[in-house]
Amino acid sequence: MNAATPALSRVEDRRLVTGQGRYTSDWNLPGQLYAHMVRSDRAHAVIRSIDTSGARAAEGCVAVLTADDVKAAGFTELPTGAPVKATDGSMQVKCPMPVLATDRVRFVGQPIAMVIATSARAAQDAAEQIMVDYDDLPAVVNMEAAVKPGAPTLHDVSPTNLSAVAESGDEAAVKAAFARAKYTTTLSVHSQRLTGAPMEPRASLASFDAASGLYTVYTPTQGMLGMRGSLSQVTGVPQDRINVIAQDVGGSFGLRGGTFSEQVLLMLAARTLGKPVKWTSTRSELFASEWHGRALTLTGHLAMDADFNILAMRWDDQADLGAYTCYFQAFIGTRNLAVTMGGVYKAPALYCRQELIYTNTVPVSAYRGAGRPDIAYAIERLIDEAAAQHGIDRIELRRRNFIPNSAFPYTTANGTVYDGGDFEGTMDKALAMADFAGFAARKAEAAQRGRIRGLGFGCYLEASGAGGAPKDVVSARFGEAGVVQVFGVTGSSGQGHETSFAKIVADGLGIETRQVRYRASDPTQELVGNGTGGSRSLYGAGSACKMLVARIIEVARAHAASMLDATPESLEFRDGAFHAGARSIALLDIAGKLAVTGTSHPLDCEGEATSGMTFPNGCHVAEVEIDPNTGVTEVIAYNAIDDLGVVISPQLVQGQVHGGVLQGAGQVFGEHIIYDNETGQLLTGSFMDYPMPRAGWINNIRNDYNPVPTTLNALGAKGVGESGCSGSMPALVNAMSDALRGRGVPAMDMPFTPARVWAALANAAKS
Amino acid sequence: MYPFTYVRATALADVAQRLKADPDAKLLAGGMTLLPTMKMRLAAPSALIDIGRLTELSGVSAEGDGLTIGAATRHAEVAADATVRSAIPALAELAQGIGDPQVRARGTLGGSVANSDPAADYPAAVLGLDATIITDRRSIPAGEFFKGLFTTALASDEIIRSIRFTRPVRAAYAKFAQPASGYAMAGVMVAQFPSGIRVAVTGAGPCVFRWTDAEAALNRQFSVESIQALSLDASGLNADLHADAAYRAQLVKVMAAQAVARLTGTAR
Amino acid sequence: MNIELNINGSTHSIECEDRTLLVEAIRDQLGLTGTHVGCDTSQCGCCTVHLDGQAVKSCSMLAVQAQGASITTIEGMASGDTLHPVQMAFSACHGLQCGFCTPGMIMASADLLRRHPDPTDDQIREGLAGNICRCTGYVNIVAAVKTAAKMIQQAPANRA
Repeated sequence: MNAATPALSRVEDRRLVTGQGRYTSDWNLPGQLYAHMVRSDRAHAVIRSIDTSGARAAEGCVAVLTADDVKAAGFTELPTGAPVKATDGSMQVKCPMPVLATDRVRFVGQPIAMVIATSARAAQDAAEQIMVDYDDLPAVVNMEAAVKPGAPTLHDVSPTNLSAVAESGDEAAVKAAFARAKYTTTLSVHSQRLTGAPMEPRASLASFDAASGLYTVYTPTQGMLGMRGSLSQVTGVPQDRINVIAQDVGGSFGLRGGTFSEQVLLMLAARTLGKPVKWTSTRSELFASEWHGRALTLTGHLAMDADFNILAMRWDDQADLGAYTCYFQAFIGTRNLAVTMGGVYKAPALYCRQELIYTNTVPVSAYRGAGRPDIAYAIERLIDEAAAQHGIDRIELRRRNFIPNSAFPYTTANGTVYDGGDFEGTMDKALAMADFAGFAARKAEAAQRGRIRGLGFGCYLEASGAGGAPKDVVSARFGEAGVVQVFGVTGSSGQGHETSFAKIVADGLGIETRQVRYRASDPTQELVGNGTGGSRSLYGAGSACKMLVARIIEVARAHAASMLDATPESLEFRDGAFHAGARSIALLDIAGKLAVTGTSHPLDCEGEATSGMTFPNGCHVAEVEIDPNTGVTEVIAYNAIDDLGVVISPQLVQGQVHGGVLQGAGQVFGEHIIYDNETGQLLTGSFMDYPMPRAGWINNIRNDYNPVPTTLNALGAKGVGESGCSGSMPALVNAMSDALRGRGVPAMDMPFTPARVWAALANAAKS
Repeated sequence: MYPFTYVRATALADVAQRLKADPDAKLLAGGMTLLPTMKMRLAAPSALIDIGRLTELSGVSAEGDGLTIGAATRHAEVAADATVRSAIPALAELAQGIGDPQVRARGTLGGSVANSDPAADYPAAVLGLDATIITDRRSIPAGEFFKGLFTTALASDEIIRSIRFTRPVRAAYAKFAQPASGYAMAGVMVAQFPSGIRVAVTGAGPCVFRWTDAEAALNRQFSVESIQALSLDASGLNADLHADAAYRAQLVKVMAAQAVARLTGTAR
Repeated sequence: MNIELNINGSTHSIECEDRTLLVEAIRDQLGLTGTHVGCDTSQCGCCTVHLDGQAVKSCSMLAVQAQGASITTIEGMASGDTLHPVQMAFSACHGLQCGFCTPGMIMASADLLRRHPDPTDDQIREGLAGNICRCTGYVNIVAAVKTAAKMIQQAPANRA
C-alpha cells in the first residue's frame, strides 16, 4: 500500500465515491409517469368525501387512485407481523393501516390518494386540486391521554386504545422478592419518539410487463426476499411474478424491511396504466408518514437485599404504537424488551408488564435496535439511580451483580440463554481506558472554570436477531472466469456486505477478495435466508459463507483429483489450490477448465447455516462537560469496550460502532418528534426543527474489544449493527445524570437539549 | 415550486422598472431564504429578478469612518475580505458564522436584511454598527429600517444597493445557534463608538432590537460584570419548541457577556 | 427555456423550466445521478456541487442561475481511472457506509481543503457543518479529510 494512493477499503467504495451508485430514485424507465401522494392534514377525522375531479382535469394528470381502486384490486391492508399474545390469553387486537384511507384518517400524513401524471410537477399540481371534506374528531396524541377513561377511540375493535396487555416473566416471584427486599428503587424513563431518517429518502419505481405478467419494483430493501414477500402479501401477486431491485440503499435502520402504501400503489398503477410509474418522497413528507421509532416509557423497579444483591427486576412498559399496527411493531414493546430485561445482572426474578397503545400519530416500527437499546438504557439508568439513592458505589453495585464468567451458558429468570461474556472484565477495561481514576481531578479542574463534569457508563447487553427464516443459504456460481460469484439474501444499506462476505469466502479459500463477488437479492437465485436486520447478517449469512467454503472445497476435490491424477484423499487444499506433492492446481483454474452446461457449472454449490440469537455486550463510558450558563454539553471523551465475539472485518465493525454511538447521541441530545397535544399536528416536520447529529457532536470515539467468541454460529461472531446505540444511550445519559445530580437536579429524560438542561439547573439552584 | 418567470438583470435601472411593472415580482440574490420558501410552496412570486451578478451591487469599499458593502455581496466574501477583516473584524466573524459553508457561498447581505428575519444574523450588525441602508431612492438609518416581524421600511419595489457600516472603536458578535437549523436563538452585537455603546440583539425577539439597559450599563462600566448584573425582561421575547422566553433572555445575557469578554480580553 | 450548462468541463444545452432546480437539471436532464437529494430544507448537503470552484447546494439554486458558471459534480472529481485524493481517502479511512451523503461530503471536503489546505479538526468540522451523515458517526470522515490534506500536500499535482 502506497501512502500517496491508499488502498480502497471496500469493494463497493469505488462506485460510491465516484457517484456511480444506483439508489432507487436514480433509476428511470422509458415512458415513465410520476406519482404524488395526497395525505391527511388532520390527526383524526371522518372522511365525508374526496373530490378528485379537479385533479383529474388538471394538466398532465393521467389517473387518481383512491381506496375504491385499492379495494377493486383486492389488496389487503399493510402487513402487521405476528400478533402478540395478551395476558388473558387472547391475541392482540390488530388494526392494520389501509393502503389508502377509507372512511377515516387517524394521523396527520396518512395516505389518502395517489395522483399520477406525466411529470412530477404536474402530479404535485394536480394533487393540490384534490378536495377532502373532513368531519374532525377529537385526537389523542400521547399515551397518557389515549388510555384515560373516556378518551376518544381510534379503532372500534380496540375501544380503550389498548391494543394489548402482555407480560413476560414471573409476577408472583417478583412480588415475593420485593416483599423481602431491604432496598428498592423505582425509575421511569421515556425513550422519546424519533424518525430514523436514513439519508436516502424513500422512492420507488414500478413497471409491469403484460406479456409475462411480471412486475419489476425498484425500492430500497433490507434484502429482496422480505420486501417481495411483503409486496406479494398486500397485492396478492405471486412472489415469482415480482422482481425487486435494489442495488444501493442509502441507509435503512429498520425502515426498509417491508412495503409502505406507495410501492403497492405503484404496482397497481403500472398495471392499469401500462406504463412505469415513479414516486420520490420529500424529507418533510417522510417526517409525517414514514414509520417512527422508539416512543416507549419504561418504569423499572429494582429490589435488592441488605448486601445489595439484586433480588428482582420488574418492568412496566407502555409502547406507543401510533395510529395503526404495522410490520416489526408488536415485538418492540414486548419480546424485544423482555428477552434481555435483566441485562448483564443475576436477577433471580424478572417480570415485565407491557401495554401497547394506539395514538393519533404516525405508526411506530423498528428503528436501530427496536426496543433493545431502550431496555439496556433503562436498566443502566435504574442501576445508577439505585446506587445514588442507597449510597452504594455504582461500580461496586454492578460488580456484586454481574453474571460471572463461570455461569455461561446462563439462563435468565425468564428463559433467555446467554452465550457468553466477561461483563466485569469488560467494565474494568472500559473504565481503565476512560481513566476513571483521574476523573475526580478533571471534574475539579472543570469546576474552577465554572463547568460541570459528569462521567457515566452503561454496561449494555442486547440480543441480536434470531431471524425468521429457517436457515441462511448462500450459493456459489463459477460461470464467470476468474471469479467466484456468491449470492445471498441479506442486502446491504451501508454495512459493506460486498466486502465482508467476499472476504470470508476469499480468506477461507485462500484467494484474493477481489476474486469473490457477493451479490444480494438476485432474482435468478432461489435462496432461503434472512434479510438484514437485528444485527445478524454478518454472522448469519457469514456463517453460511464459511460453510460454503467447505462445500466448494469438497465439490472441487473430486475434479482436482482427476486433473492431478491423484486420489481425492491424498490432496491437500491450501492457499487457493489443491496440492499433490510438488504438483498443484488452483481452484479457479479448475473452474476454468470445467465446462459450463446451460446455466450451471460443475462447481456450483450452496452453503447453509442456522444461526440464532447472540448476545453482544459491552461497556461504554462517556465524559461530559456542561456549561451551566447555556445548558450546552460537550462530550469530552467517549470510550467503548465491546464484546462482539470474533471480529471479522475490524474497520467495518468499528464503523458500525461509531454510527450507532452517534445515533444514540442524537436521541440523547436533541432528536425528538413532537406533536401538538391539542391538534395532533406535527411540530417537528423537517431538519429545521429536528437536530440531526453533525460532525463535532462527538469528536473522538475510542473503541476496543473484549471478545468472548460465541459458540452459537460458525464464525464465533456476535451482532454489531445495533450495539452502538445500546451503549451510548446509557453512557451519555448516566454521564449527564452524574453531572446534574451533583447540582440537585432530579432524574431527567432525554433529550438533554441546552434549553432543558439550563432550565433544570436553574430550577434546582432556586430550590 | 409554482411557475414563475426568471429574468437575469443586467442593470439596476432595469430592475427598478420591472419591479414597478410587476408588484408580484421578487428579487433573487443568493436565494438562500427565498428559494427554500418557494420550494415549500409558501411563496409564489410571479417573477424572479436575478440581481446576483450585478457588479454595481457587490464589493467592499472603505472610506472615512465607513465601510460600504454591496447588497449582493456573498457572506463568504465578507468573511474573507481583507478590508472588512481589518476595518470591522466583528462583521467578518458574523458573516463567517452564518449557516454553513455552502450557504455562505451564495447568501447575500441584502437578502439577509431585506426580510427582517428574526433569526438572521446580519440585522444585529446593521443595528449594532449604526449602519445606513442605501437603496435605489434614499438612505435609511438602521434604527428606522427594521419595523417588526418580517417587516422593514422598504417600499415593495425598493431595492437595497448597499449598506454602509460605521466603523466602531471595537465590536464583537456572539451567537447561540438553534441546534437543528443553525439560525440564531440569540445573536448579540456589542459595538463601542465614541458616542457610546450599542448592543443589538437578533434571534430573541420578533425583530432585531437594541438592549438599551445593557448599553447604559456598559457605558457606565464596560465589563462582563455589568452584563451579569442585568436582567432582561423575557416578555416579548420569542418562545418556540427550542427555547422559551426565559431561556432566550438567558442566552441574550450570555452572548452579550461573551461579546464583551472578547473585547475586554477576558474571554475563555 | 433552453439553457447552457458547463458541467465537468463540457457544455450541455438543456431544455428546462425557469423553476427547474440545478440538482434537477443535473440528475434528470443530464443523467448525472451522483448528486443526491436528501432533504427539502437545504440542510443535508447531499446535493453539494462546485460552482466556479465553491461548494454550493444545488437544491437551492435554479438551473438557470448556473448558466455561465463552471460546475463540477462528483462525476468530475476523478481523472479517468485515477481517483481524487479526497475520494481515495474517504474509502481508505472508511468514511462512508451507505454512500448516499458521500458525494456531497466529498465535494464539501474538497472545497474546504482548497480554503484550508492544512485544516485543524475544528476547521474540518466547521467545513462540514452543511452536511449530514446518518451512518458513519463522522469520526472517520474527519480522518478522511485529514488524510486527503496530507495526500494533496505531498503531491501537489493532485490538487484538483
